[in-house]
Amino acid sequence: MNANIPVLFRSYQSRETHSGCKIWEAARATSAVPTLFKHIEIGNKQPFIDGGLGCNNPSKLLLKEAKVVFPTHQIGCLVSIGTGHAEVIGIGKPGFFQQIVPTDVIDALKAISTDCETTHEDMLFFFSNSLNIYFRINVEQGMQGIKLSEWEKIANVEAHTMQYLRKEEVGEKLTLVINAIKSQKTHFMMEQFGMKKNKLCNQIKV
Amino acid sequence: MGVDTAIDAYNNLTEQVFSDPKRWPGDGRFKATKLEEVIKSVVRDVTGDSEAPLLEVGDTSVCRM
Repeated sequence: MNANIPVLFRSYQSRETHSGCKIWEAARATSAVPTLFKHIEIGNKQPFIDGGLGCNNPSKLLLKEAKVVFPTHQIGCLVSIGTGHAEVIGIGKPGFFQQIVPTDVIDALKAISTDCETTHEDMLFFFSNSLNIYFRINVEQGMQGIKLSEWEKIANVEAHTMQYLRKEEVGEKLTLVINAIKSQKTHFMMEQFGMKKNKLCNQIKV
Repeated sequence: MGVDTAIDAYNNLTEQVFSDPKRWPGDGRFKATKLEEVIKSVVRDVTGDSEAPLLEVGDTSVCRM
């Protein structure tokens, strides 16, 4: 298992399109959480362990992809949407799962929650000189106790989300997001990203 | 696929997949076959073909899934 090298499932032409992949295979591969579902093999028997283990917040990956696909374009807006803070991924008590899955998987799952927020911090730093381009929307409270598989708690998720959206600061942020999306003005050159990339990587301990 | 339709499809998927755990959890606690089945039915409803390829040809400006 190498969770550090994510695979992109693209629906558009690219230099490295996953040949012959079907929509259902991509959907299945990105939902292969080890404690929940069996892994899937696609194409030349390439196993996919988890859509989220190595890259739960794909913002940095998105920037790289955008630079490859639109080398001369500018970034107008980047909206990152989280699924709630910290323990929302809810893997349950490690003691129970350790009987089923290897310890390294448990450790990797624990790392997911921190991974998302670390990436967010990196993105804030990256866009610190470019106002109103990068936004993260993430329900801060209430989702911690809800496990990924608890479908019957969808009403709770909705209630916590509505509460979050009603907050003054969130409302203001959403107004900025809408303006950024609607506005055709672009502020952030992809070239800037290229220049800053090495500097950024030095700051991040991956 | 519009946002509201996508939310409905997701709610339906999670209910179908997670309300039916494996009796003997080994390689995952839930049935991957069930997940596949529900995903395929969503793809069939939207594209008309459950085995539709991921790669889009022609007009790619419209969000498909």
